[in-house]
Amino acid sequence: MASAHTAPLGLAPGAAAPSGPPQEVAAAAPMPDVLPAVKPRKGFVGFIRRHPTIAIGGFLLLVMLLIAVFAPYLGTVDPTALAPARRTREPSAEYWFGTDMLGRDVYSRVLYGARVSLIVGFAVALLSSVVGLAIGLVSGFVRVLDGIVMRIMDGLMSIPPILLAIALMALTRGSVRNVVIAITIAEIPRVSRLVRGVVLSLREQPYVEAAVASGTRMPVIILRHILPNTLAPITVQATYICASAMIIEAILSFIGAGTPPIIPSWGNIMAEGRALWQVKPYIVFFPAVFLSVTVLAVNLLGDGLRDALDPRMAKRL
Amino acid sequence: MNRRDLLKATLAAGALAGTHGLSAPALAQGAAARTLRFVPQANLANFDPIWGTQYVVRNASAMVWDTLYGVDDQLVPQRQMVEAEEHSPDFKVWTFRLRPGLKFHDGEPVLAKDVVASLARWSVRDPMGQMIRAIQQELVAVDDRTLRWTLREGFPKMLWALGKTNTPIAFIMPERIAKTDPFQQIGEYIGSGPMRFVRDEWVPGAKAVFQRFDGYVSREGTGSWLAGPKRIMVDRVEWTVMPDPATASAALQNGEVDWWENPISDLVPVLRRNRNIMVDIADPLGNIGSFRMNHLHPPFNNVKARRAILMAMSQEDYMRALVGDDDKLWKPLPGFFTPGTPLYTEEGGDILKGPRDLDAAKKLLAESGYAGEPVTCLVAQDQPITKAQGDVTADLLKRLDMNVDFVATDWGTVGQRRAMKNPPGQGGWQVFHTWHAGADCVNPASYNAVRGTGDNAWFGWPKSEATEAAIARWFAAPDLEAEKLAIAQVNRAAMEDVVYAPTGFFLTYQGWRRNVSGIQKGPLPFFWGVSKG
Amino acid sequence: MLSYIVRRVLATIPVMAVVALFVFSLLYIAPGDPAAVIAGDQATPEDVERIRASLGLDRPFLIRFGEWAFRILQGDMGNSIFTNLPVTTMIAQRIEPTLSLMALTLLLAIFIAVPMGVVAAWKQGTIIDRAVMVFAVLGFSVPVFVVGYLLAYVFALELDWLPVQGYTSFSEGLWPWLENLILPAIALGGVYIALIARITRATMLEVLSQDYIRTARAKGVGQRGILFLHALKNAAVPIVTVIGIGIALLIGGAVVTESVFAIPGLGRLTVDAILRRDYPVIQGVVLLFSFIYVLVNLAIDLAYTLFDPRIRY
Repeated sequence: MASAHTAPLGLAPGAAAPSGPPQEVAAAAPMPDVLPAVKPRKGFVGFIRRHPTIAIGGFLLLVMLLIAVFAPYLGTVDPTALAPARRTREPSAEYWFGTDMLGRDVYSRVLYGARVSLIVGFAVALLSSVVGLAIGLVSGFVRVLDGIVMRIMDGLMSIPPILLAIALMALTRGSVRNVVIAITIAEIPRVSRLVRGVVLSLREQPYVEAAVASGTRMPVIILRHILPNTLAPITVQATYICASAMIIEAILSFIGAGTPPIIPSWGNIMAEGRALWQVKPYIVFFPAVFLSVTVLAVNLLGDGLRDALDPRMAKRL
Repeated sequence: MNRRDLLKATLAAGALAGTHGLSAPALAQGAAARTLRFVPQANLANFDPIWGTQYVVRNASAMVWDTLYGVDDQLVPQRQMVEAEEHSPDFKVWTFRLRPGLKFHDGEPVLAKDVVASLARWSVRDPMGQMIRAIQQELVAVDDRTLRWTLREGFPKMLWALGKTNTPIAFIMPERIAKTDPFQQIGEYIGSGPMRFVRDEWVPGAKAVFQRFDGYVSREGTGSWLAGPKRIMVDRVEWTVMPDPATASAALQNGEVDWWENPISDLVPVLRRNRNIMVDIADPLGNIGSFRMNHLHPPFNNVKARRAILMAMSQEDYMRALVGDDDKLWKPLPGFFTPGTPLYTEEGGDILKGPRDLDAAKKLLAESGYAGEPVTCLVAQDQPITKAQGDVTADLLKRLDMNVDFVATDWGTVGQRRAMKNPPGQGGWQVFHTWHAGADCVNPASYNAVRGTGDNAWFGWPKSEATEAAIARWFAAPDLEAEKLAIAQVNRAAMEDVVYAPTGFFLTYQGWRRNVSGIQKGPLPFFWGVSKG
Repeated sequence: MLSYIVRRVLATIPVMAVVALFVFSLLYIAPGDPAAVIAGDQATPEDVERIRASLGLDRPFLIRFGEWAFRILQGDMGNSIFTNLPVTTMIAQRIEPTLSLMALTLLLAIFIAVPMGVVAAWKQGTIIDRAVMVFAVLGFSVPVFVVGYLLAYVFALELDWLPVQGYTSFSEGLWPWLENLILPAIALGGVYIALIARITRATMLEVLSQDYIRTARAKGVGQRGILFLHALKNAAVPIVTVIGIGIALLIGGAVVTESVFAIPGLGRLTVDAILRRDYPVIQGVVLLFSFIYVLVNLAIDLAYTLFDPRIRY
């Protein structure tokens, strides 16, 4: 498993650099060919300039959220309404994204599909963060449990997440809830490793030792000293988990182990359209674009957050 | 030479340097022409046609094992392994004599005792075989080439039972293999058919390979379907499993495979546009779609609720969802028997004809006492036919203001759950979908799904005394006229009691490269008579 | 050093045990009945019960786990419920395509991504850098099967440069083997390339800003020399770590890629087995994949000591 030296790298995308060279170097010897300098700006525009990834990512994600929330008002029809007589029509003025093989309006399905994909993404991110935090805290503090818990987490991590999710889905029937649970279980180990790493490194800190020595109770120590330091890495990790969850949901649906088709999600719209990819590519194309843009947005957001919160985190993630 | 070969040659010239001279594929041009590459309808996961009754297993087995009789395209059983047969006037004693010189793939001769063991195993699992077994007195090998089946009652349809295409087919295996318990898989795949199974190259889920058996003793004359000399005109047949229709379509267009068993109808126009590909109907006997209800529990334990479904359902919606926009591929089916066959009838099927009356259906449903309970529908997502039907049904039930509990699962789980008689809230079901090959619905002989024997019936357990009485009359019918009369009564009774709801009759295509000839239309792909080049 | 290696190797045993227990119990509580599928459409519930009993599916948990674990340790993974073939045979039949695909993807990814990351670091802040990063993020975001279909459509169908599906064994020649694997490897590698490029860039940037690089420059070694000799060696640790962790990604993505390109590998075997509830196969394959993952990471951890002598345990 990843050694303590480079701590949990998880599935998260690797590190991006800080937006400028550290101050000491810039003040010392300029190395224009290797590290060109970047001029900082002020204000909101400055914020956007300094953190373009947060801006773009956040904006795109917001658009997707709005689409998901306001889907019924954006010119859509019932996404499950069948009309086999009007199947596989090309995109036109009447059917903006065309119809699928059962005559359902692809535009409506894609817009409503945003709900499922976003719900899956956010729910998994939230759940796995909360549970992973709990496990990581316990593991970091209670030495006795640490070995066992970490072995279990390592065991779970060594099963490829997709296989784990498929296997869990095979146990039950397809539904959004089960997909969320299955993917969450696959993602928890990474979060718990991350939290445990933070806890372990913080536990040795003088102020923590001082707090323990002065008799502060454990929950207070956790709340006041440990938790704040975990928030930043967890938040960043959560965004990556969100992106990963959305892709895994698409793959689960592709294989036929995901959300049931009565609930449109980008994954299962693509899965249903894959046989017709050559003749009616729009059925796969539109949800693919929406999914890619959303995942891109979340990834950018994660990158930006990481840069903003603590560039040194880059290595740990 | 196509672009790919050109590119390959150019790059191979450079790559050759480090590869110890290993470059071109093992098969030279000539050898490639002697291998037929086929994409089957499903994965060949196991290879025991008596134990596992999936169609794909039957299709592969037809190459490897031979039968005593085989039906031709008129559904008349013809002699295959049998040279001559005799039966007593009351159809109670049947004697069969095998052709001389028949051999198994391992060189052993085919003896009557092998036939006896094979028939014994087959009759445990096959419905008609079970009927024979119930009245069996004795099944013995009289000598090396003769066997005799003595029954307590007459069974006129013996040749049909031995030569039919419905699974399980009465394949003849060596005695040692046929002695395997019918509820366990055989371990060896030796037969006397025109091709041998190359076990070493079998990758379940990916590939199955068959090699021509040069020791096959063809029978004289001509034939079609399971009857005839079964002459194999290629050296090898390779089955490549492709779960993704888009991939199979691309492979057929690229010439990477030669014959695709069931292209989906939406991809057929692309295939048709390709000058190197031919597309035609796969099986004129087609398929019948099925909306199967649970007669044991509400709401469908009340015939009014079942009739409401027949009133409201639109076979056109179901069929279009299944086969697409091509009108040649489907027919409405106001009955239970295969269109285009002698016994086809529409008697009693008026409820399925004409414009759909949703309000009348809702009224009938209310009269049946339906009060909004959830209706559990089991829909297998991994079978395109059941998936499409399931989607249409969910929509139909919603429009009838029924409360749909849509269980999207896989074919395996459906297979398990549909066998459960529990009430729906406790793991049971009220609706599931399936389909039947038209060849299986030609008459009631192997047609379990139309029987109304209640608790012993097929899943759904319909009880219809009128249907059973009419079926008994068919079994006893002495000639075609009497049979037709009986079948008309069966149809009417089954329709009135709604044994199940037929969703329509549909056909599927098959596609092959232009340089392949000899492909027949039939209930299974026949590899004899097919040549390449 | 030796004690570290021994400890590290021993540490994998409990991990594998956890995986084994987890895999086994997962499927034990699963609904869905392979016996029903095997019995077929015409079977009665009694038939199904007989098949279940004959397959031994009705005995208690601990007994089955104990027997199973014992046999696994002897190298016997049992027989597939559906094909009756030994699971080890089925795996052996399918392992070459999957390993080939993963190896080729790995090679492609490293040879594309590492230079990409280096160049992006070198030209940090310029359009090249942005382009590389955008490309990398795109690599994460577009689902594998969409990329696969696109590639197949363009390169195989339209341009006819490469075959659309299938797998040719290496024994039949280098080019035929490569031919079938190029498109799948590119499709599968997208995510991997993105990951590696990003982490390469990040660590390169960090390394480049360190003092000893300035010293090297001051000593007069050429710029290219600086980058490739010193920086890369120090960036090796995180890159190699990511490669190790990314193996899990590869395995997962292989499942989809094998389906799109009809490659008869382990990924497809696993998915088919899971959807059919072919327990022995599922257990065998998941165990195998986990074992590969554990081994690779073990090798990487041990390799750290080569790259960075500061790491000691």
